[in-house]
Amino acid sequence: MGPDAASPIYPLALTAEAPGKRSGFLVRTWRVGRRRPAALAGAVVVLLFGAMALGAPWIATTDPVRTDWSQIRKAPTWAHPFGTDDLGRDGLSRVVWGARISMQAGVFSILLAIAIGVPVGLVAGFYRGALDQAIMRLTDAWLAFPFLILAIGLVTILGPSLTNATLAIGLGATPTYIRLTRGLVLSTSEEDYVHGARALGAGDVRLMARHVLPNIVSAILVQATVAVPTAIIAEAVLSFLGLGVQPPAPSWGTMLNAAQQFLESAPWMAYWPGLAIFMLALSFNLAGDGLRDLLDPRDY
Amino acid sequence: MTEFLVRRAFISAVTLVLISLIVFTGVRMIPGDPARVMAGTDADAAGLEEVREKYGLHDPIPVQYVRWIGLALRGDLGESIRTRQSVAWTVAIKLPITVELACLALLIALALAIPAGVIAAVRRNTAWDVLASAASLCGVSIPNFWLGIMLILLVSVRLGWLPASGFVPLFEDPVANVKRMLMPALVLGTALAAVLMRQTRNAMIEVLSADYIRTARSKGLAGFAVVVRHALRNALIPVVTILGLQMGALMGGAVVTESIFVLPGFGRLIVEAVFTRDYPVVQGVVLITASSYVLINLLVDISYTVLNPRIRIGGGVDGA
Repeated sequence: MGPDAASPIYPLALTAEAPGKRSGFLVRTWRVGRRRPAALAGAVVVLLFGAMALGAPWIATTDPVRTDWSQIRKAPTWAHPFGTDDLGRDGLSRVVWGARISMQAGVFSILLAIAIGVPVGLVAGFYRGALDQAIMRLTDAWLAFPFLILAIGLVTILGPSLTNATLAIGLGATPTYIRLTRGLVLSTSEEDYVHGARALGAGDVRLMARHVLPNIVSAILVQATVAVPTAIIAEAVLSFLGLGVQPPAPSWGTMLNAAQQFLESAPWMAYWPGLAIFMLALSFNLAGDGLRDLLDPRDY
Repeated sequence: MTEFLVRRAFISAVTLVLISLIVFTGVRMIPGDPARVMAGTDADAAGLEEVREKYGLHDPIPVQYVRWIGLALRGDLGESIRTRQSVAWTVAIKLPITVELACLALLIALALAIPAGVIAAVRRNTAWDVLASAASLCGVSIPNFWLGIMLILLVSVRLGWLPASGFVPLFEDPVANVKRMLMPALVLGTALAAVLMRQTRNAMIEVLSADYIRTARSKGLAGFAVVVRHALRNALIPVVTILGLQMGALMGGAVVTESIFVLPGFGRLIVEAVFTRDYPVVQGVVLITASSYVLINLLVDISYTVLNPRIRIGGGVDGA
């Protein structure tokens, strides 16, 4: 629900994006960022993790899957700042490459949830009636499966792999977007500018795509930022349980699984992958709070 | 109110039917012969035929569904491929462990979240508020299995205060049982505490600005009495709703927690079942979890409809 489009300054508001919004956005980002340094720091750390995921081959030059039998479970040294694991692999390198898997699983699963959830929610909220009821009852049933249990069930059917874990997490997160979108559409499609556009002869598809959707994008974006850390943790959990990324691929979850067996002799194996998940999830949550502030200032 | 309750119960019934359909379809989506899926790879021709007969696998799919749901309603969820025990029995002996774990986690979560949320709301925008919010944010962001591993490292390996794993039945040795349950419950309760604290804080802030709180204060009631007797009681209503909705996360969390602390509960059962391709057990566990989630939330809704006069008189909240 973009406040700009509904504001009395643009009574017809046939252009959902109010003019001048873009130039104001950067200024507002700066203002919000200065007022909420934690959110800014979160966003910066998320970007750093993103850079780490993209630049893994250049940052971690040691091969993350190369085993070295002379370096098994060595405590941190200059050569291996995060130590080595039970197969003599470099801990730092594995943590860096792990960012790739975590980001991939976190971002793509939520993109999948949005790609399915938003159109379905849009249709349900826009047409209402029996179709809406049918979709919502199915969504209720889908939501009744605890996220993790559903993901485990789906992985059982599909088989364990990164792609299937991403798929399972995405499908698990989908009903949230159906609900959110539907709720937003229900209120947005009653706005005057939607009625106005309809009176001017706009068809359903045009109404949904040009008038309703742009006004709910920000709320969906905020939800996505807080959903990604949940998805990242879910991927780590699935991999930790052995249902996600399969060894020897460096996933933070599988690394923690291995670390659990050597807590007494090699505790450093458990420190870094977990800290990485924690930092990334925390940063996403902080950035999400800031984004909410930025996109919907009326809440504060 | 009756209309609302009937409507709410009807929606739950529809949801339960859809859940059973999803689970039924899910198992059919496993590649291969459904009889082989239900009987396991070791089953001989006679065993396969027995399964086909029991579930009527020669019949059309809708008939199969009706037969399956009929058996499930009578408590027959098939038998475990691995142990040959009935799924219902397997779940029944594992469930108390998870329920105990969940109750302890809930207690810990409430003990942390309610006071912290109330203090954060009453002392809004002070250091206490910031501290509580930061703790809540960390609680949501920390992966609980890592928290578990770190706790084992600190409390069991370094300090040697509590055993890291193993399980002792509650009625055999209550002290040893609680000693082993404490860390898992703390791990499971952390995320819940974080969510509940946020809810309590937000609900308290809203309630504290209400007119009846001003009235109570102007009557000369002491601050503490107003906060606890008037504000908290009303603020807890949305918190209870969130608690019901968080049950799913609690059940999911139990899977991980029980795996780390090697507790032979419901959560570990599903992981083991997945690894051994024990489909009847996976199917049973998923069906029971989802159904109990729906029933718990129905109970939560009914109970607060009965408790909250505003909803009781006003004719109900939108259940959709």
